[in-house]
Amino acid sequence: MKEKNNRTHTQHRAKTKNLIIIGVLGLLIVVAFMISMNTGFIRLTPLEVIRTLFGLGTDKQHLILFEFRLPRIIIAVLVGMGLAVSGCVLQGISRNALADPGILGINAGAGLAVMLFISFFPSTAATPVFLLPVLAFLGAGVTAVIIYSLAYKRHEGISPMRLLLTGVAVAAGISSAMIVLTLRLSPENYQFVATWLAGSIWGSNWKFVLSLLPWILVLIPFVFSKARVLNVLNLGDLTATGLGASIEKERRILLAAAVGLAGASVSVSGGIGFVGLIGPHLARQLVGSRHQFLIPAAALTGGLLVLVADTLGRWILQPSEIPAGIVVAVIGAPYFLFLLSRLKD
Amino acid sequence: MSAIKVDHVAIGYSNTLIIDNLSVSIPEKKITTIIGPNGCGKSTLLKAISRVLKTKSGAVYLDGRAIHQLETKEVAKKMAILPQSANAPGGLTVFELVSYGRFPHQSGFGSLKKEDYEYIYWAIDVTGLNEFKDRPVEALSGGQRQRVWIAMALAQDTEILILDEPTTYLDLAHQLDILLLLQRLNEEEGRTIVMVLHDLNHASRFSDYMIAMKNGELVKVGTPEEVMTCPNLQLVFNIDARIATCPFSDNPICLSYQLCQKDR
Repeated sequence: MKEKNNRTHTQHRAKTKNLIIIGVLGLLIVVAFMISMNTGFIRLTPLEVIRTLFGLGTDKQHLILFEFRLPRIIIAVLVGMGLAVSGCVLQGISRNALADPGILGINAGAGLAVMLFISFFPSTAATPVFLLPVLAFLGAGVTAVIIYSLAYKRHEGISPMRLLLTGVAVAAGISSAMIVLTLRLSPENYQFVATWLAGSIWGSNWKFVLSLLPWILVLIPFVFSKARVLNVLNLGDLTATGLGASIEKERRILLAAAVGLAGASVSVSGGIGFVGLIGPHLARQLVGSRHQFLIPAAALTGGLLVLVADTLGRWILQPSEIPAGIVVAVIGAPYFLFLLSRLKD
Repeated sequence: MSAIKVDHVAIGYSNTLIIDNLSVSIPEKKITTIIGPNGCGKSTLLKAISRVLKTKSGAVYLDGRAIHQLETKEVAKKMAILPQSANAPGGLTVFELVSYGRFPHQSGFGSLKKEDYEYIYWAIDVTGLNEFKDRPVEALSGGQRQRVWIAMALAQDTEILILDEPTTYLDLAHQLDILLLLQRLNEEEGRTIVMVLHDLNHASRFSDYMIAMKNGELVKVGTPEEVMTCPNLQLVFNIDARIATCPFSDNPICLSYQLCQKDR
């Protein structure tokens, strides 16, 4: 009996440890939030930030925080969460640690849609900027459907490996189409597209927050509710079937959720694809492979990463900006190489 | 009473048929072992029995109902599978992997309940993994890892256990360990066990029934005494075998063998 208590105790401790890690990640986001609120051309003390948040600031402070910085910060966090959870799902269902929304051609599809729009309607100044996220989302969705149907085989369904390879091939095709298109762009439009592709939180506006928020609020809890299914899918098709998971059905649903999350995120942020790869990896280092902990940890890690990257990007070369996608890559790539070097064989 | 009935099935991958029109019954509460040379379709048959592969025609019946019409989760409560080569994702501890065996019994968000913990700890105990339970699976030896997968299948708590070469990667003592464990589960708890083994002597010693296959067809089905005969082994494996009696279990064993010269 005593031994049994000890055993449950160990499991309990592991759970507590993971919950603490998730709590700390949440806390770090709050800290990054405060710092980010303070970053920009006009400095505000933390006290002023708090006062303004509670409606006690001056009109000018109110304007800066609520109309410029707050929506941008919220979008950064949401985008990071969406991409990281999307990557987490894709890595889970494909059993491939290198899967991310970019590999499935989602970024490329969204990029192509944006670029087509700009090259055929070149007067960016006049075109409604709110059409871009819609187009990007459509581009991402259409690409995902194309890849899925190319990878689908009757009787056998979708094999993760075929899905990934098809995704890589289609993404490569789209990228080369984009290079051809860039040749036709005017310098200003090229600049816009390049920034978009590099991934920058350009849509700092409450309308973009509202267009992204429902996806995140619906899909992340949905994916979380599938945590046990993801755990089992991660063991491979044979074992998952043996344990009673309807792999084909679950995989299709989860894939759709991942595309929805990534598409919605990319539509307001451009190609911050790397977060989808590194977010889940970092989270796995922290809390292990069980999706009950991995999904929340990946969401928080992703949100934190993009928020920090966007803040740094705004701060380093003030008053000009470095796209968050580039900052994420600059911080993330060396860490990723470090992780790889620590992997055995 | 048969636990599983295979009724005129054809099974294959994309365009090639591996098994055509095969029928066989797996008796309830017995140990049945499928033997046969590499590529004879024994794993394929096992996969069809465990509904991992869909049959092209015919059907597999579990308790009299066609297995593909049953909810896969319901099947998983009755039948656990140990695949031939299973790979754990990195970073999972033994306890965590074994706990996945409770999947078909959980619903919704379902964290592990007291009953789940009992089955998990029982499975870890009987497979002798107690001291490893908090270690990451990838840090274990091949044999220990194999026992973790068996523990996962046991935690599933099913009447039927299906194992594809459960003793591969194990040394002699550990092979016997696993087979004795399966025997105990069969004798004490009446579980039906279906497995593929390469070691004929183990198959003979631990099985109630043996199914000998070649080229996707049944060659002989029966007790070890009926199956482990010189003519049968020649037919199945193309070997000239000397059959003796096992001093431990009185079953026929293959003492030694050489390749038959003809047909070569």
